[in-house]
Amino acid sequence: MAKKARKKLSLLDTLVWIIGIVVYLFLILPILVIVFSAFSPSEYPEFPPTGFSLKWFTAVFGNPQWLDSLWISVILLIIVTPLTVILGTMASYSLARLNFRGKELIQSLILSPLMIPQVVLGIGLLYLFTMMGINGSIIALVVGHMIVCFPYVVRTVSVSVSNLNPVLEKASMNLGATPMQTFYKVTIPLIKPGILAGAVFSAVTSFGEISISLFVSAPSTVSVPVRTFGYIDQTFDPTINAISVIFIIISVFALVIIEKTIGLSKVM
Amino acid sequence: MKGIKIDHVSRIFNDNVALADVSLDVKEGEFFSLLGPSGCGKSTLLNIIAGFLEPTDGLVYIGGNNVTDLLPYRRNIGMVFQNYALFPHLTVFENVAYGLKIKKLPRKEIEERVTEALSLVQLSSFAKRRPHQLSGGQQQRVAIARALAIQPSILLLDEPLSNLDAKLRKEMQFELRNIQQRVGITTVLVTHDQEEALSISDRIGILGKGHLQQVGSPLEVYRRPANRFVAEFIGQVNLFEAVAKKDETGIYEALDYQTDENTTLNLDVGNLVIEQKQEKVLLMLRPERIHISKTLVEQRLNSAKVKLQEASYIGNALRLKVVMNKGELSINTPDLMFETLPNIGDEFYVYWDAKDLIPLEEGE
Amino acid sequence: MRKTKKEKQQVFQWLLLIPTVLFFCVFLVLPFVLLIVLSFRDIDSMQNLLDTYSFSHYIEVFTSDIYIDAILSTLGLAAVTTVLCIVFAYPAAYLLVRAPSRRLRALFYILLVSPLLTSVVIRTFAWIVLLAQNGLINDILLKLHIISEPLSLLWNMKAVVIAYVQVMLPFAVLPIATSLSETNPNLRNASMSLGAGRIQSFLKVTLPLTIPGIISGAMIVFSLAAGSYITALLVGGRMQPIFPLSIYQQVMQVFNLPLAAAMSISLVFIVLIFVGILGLILKRWEARMHG
Repeated sequence: MAKKARKKLSLLDTLVWIIGIVVYLFLILPILVIVFSAFSPSEYPEFPPTGFSLKWFTAVFGNPQWLDSLWISVILLIIVTPLTVILGTMASYSLARLNFRGKELIQSLILSPLMIPQVVLGIGLLYLFTMMGINGSIIALVVGHMIVCFPYVVRTVSVSVSNLNPVLEKASMNLGATPMQTFYKVTIPLIKPGILAGAVFSAVTSFGEISISLFVSAPSTVSVPVRTFGYIDQTFDPTINAISVIFIIISVFALVIIEKTIGLSKVM
Repeated sequence: MKGIKIDHVSRIFNDNVALADVSLDVKEGEFFSLLGPSGCGKSTLLNIIAGFLEPTDGLVYIGGNNVTDLLPYRRNIGMVFQNYALFPHLTVFENVAYGLKIKKLPRKEIEERVTEALSLVQLSSFAKRRPHQLSGGQQQRVAIARALAIQPSILLLDEPLSNLDAKLRKEMQFELRNIQQRVGITTVLVTHDQEEALSISDRIGILGKGHLQQVGSPLEVYRRPANRFVAEFIGQVNLFEAVAKKDETGIYEALDYQTDENTTLNLDVGNLVIEQKQEKVLLMLRPERIHISKTLVEQRLNSAKVKLQEASYIGNALRLKVVMNKGELSINTPDLMFETLPNIGDEFYVYWDAKDLIPLEEGE
Repeated sequence: MRKTKKEKQQVFQWLLLIPTVLFFCVFLVLPFVLLIVLSFRDIDSMQNLLDTYSFSHYIEVFTSDIYIDAILSTLGLAAVTTVLCIVFAYPAAYLLVRAPSRRLRALFYILLVSPLLTSVVIRTFAWIVLLAQNGLINDILLKLHIISEPLSLLWNMKAVVIAYVQVMLPFAVLPIATSLSETNPNLRNASMSLGAGRIQSFLKVTLPLTIPGIISGAMIVFSLAAGSYITALLVGGRMQPIFPLSIYQQVMQVFNLPLAAAMSISLVFIVLIFVGILGLILKRWEARMHG
């Protein structure tokens, strides 16, 4: 009788575990599907696979349009990431240290792009950039991407800053360092993991950004996600599979970097 | 009211032996403490009694019934946790009523029992507060009331006072004992604080390295420790590793204590009969049993000339550390002994009674 | 007078903050204000902007059946997505927190974060590959002779919900996991020692204590689901009554910017109301627990 009760307990445990694992499989399913179909020779992937082929990859790299888009995406990432990381780090640090009325307002303003409907962000920026006469330019895209990347950087850096003991900074200033020197020599080195994780998030987010880009790009500034969107929207094009695999490889790199520097569990 | 019987219980965590073959009887209505350093297995044993852990081997009886395979919520055990573990989303009243609601008692009875339990811990006027509005001591009382409200057959206390400051802890020790006496419930307390265990318990079980080292009254475990582990864990102690001198009954030679280049310290253990085979023996001497004299003591055994190495004043007593060539001795002496604090390097004489030298087992 | 050390430090910290605040004022607050102004501007029949202002666009939004229908079904979509995300997130968060080894926990984290690091377009594309007429699921079902005709799984609300849940699930798992890991395990033990079984203890102790995590997760998922349009467009098709999608079409196909602005502002406020209510509940609950 009593032994039975113990059994029931582990049955409950098993059930929870099975459901949980199914959920995780559901999360990873799309990525598995993409990888599976990118190497499939037929237009539509078949199960079981009928063969192995790299023709979709050669199709991507033989197409000048895709190469142009890749170039645009990389340039954006290279400009957006450092700018967002520098501004975001400065802001998270001072928000952690300063106390003033309206601080919460500024905090929620910086984090709001996560929650504001993307379509609204897109239209707002489209309208503003048109008035400024810069819509469709690289600058427009950079600004749009920065808005979207900001919350990720501020979140990861804030975690690092909140783990930093302010006494260390006081000690540095007592030893004669100016606030600027202290920031460079004490604060920055100690919150470096958070900054790095923020940079990775920012780069990956920028590379995959579409919701705002769709509104503010011109035919000459089509990033990879926007072109991908165009292809999917028009027809079913299996080269997209190959593009997707490139994206996935980049995310895997990002994951590895984050895990090695700060640990995934700490970032989130 | 029920007793507890632990019958050859072992617990192994991934090849680490947390508890090795522990057998123990807690009598009905007794206040029993499990005392030991951290990692000694005392919490493991408590969790096995509560049912949160299963023993790898052995049986647990409560009130004569084998409960080894019973789930925790079928054991009717009251438990007070280290951080009180009050439910933060419930009021004091709801916390205390929790177990009664689970039992689906009629509302009126629940109210009566909660009121009774809260008045037992003198918190009747706090029923509507939430845990975060209470002080540490008050939270502690709520936890006790909650555990007792279900009228458990036994009460388990897992380091219940470790989060309180020293003064409050003393008060709560007294109160805990008081409540236990009034309710008359069999109680097991887990603690690493020897003073707490000594002052509060009927009996103490000392755990070390997964083994039950000794069970006895506070007086017994302090005055007659079963082995080196217990002697060293409870209170301060001077230990002599000594060798019996075969020709003289009850006379030992302390191995590490040379008073000068060629004289060794001779110890007289009184009536102790030396077994010829057992040559080496471990002897214990409590620091407060050592007397000090400024003049030569007319006593050939159990006395020595010493030099002061360290002295600290703790109000009602002086704590001294003295050396005799190779060996060190700790001494606690009433502060009346000295008009002013002695100087480091002062020389004087120490002596003690034969009955205060206690032979010990090496132990496991 | 010389500034004290503390004042100096504060000036420095303000200097660090100002560029970001300016950036957000110009590129987030300003466009929003411009949109509000634009949403009141009248247009002529050729969609040229006039210099007069009125509520006409808002009246159109809240009186036309199409838009009301779209708003309601968007809220329904967001609500269903939120509930499903929370329900599925709970066991996933439980596994994450209770994972017996660090390696397994790291694996769970990777599975959880990898969708966040993959572009929305790509994840949505994967669902097309899976759900299309000649997609993987139909292919497998046909070959197993479970069905004789391919099912139409794509271009409907169900497909949108499935894709949304997959895209937004991590945002629900992470706060719940944080909440779970912050609850004192002794509370569960205390509940059991008081006679409550595992399920009872979960319902009466663990679940209430993780309500903050559930609500923060719900806030994020709800606002994401109510505001996304890319996934909805690609998986659900252009005909779904989804409000953000209508806004997108208003801008890109009808070119009626003032109406799109009015729709956008309405959407923001509707989302704000729902998220605000959730936030209020969260605040009250936390005040109850921690004062």
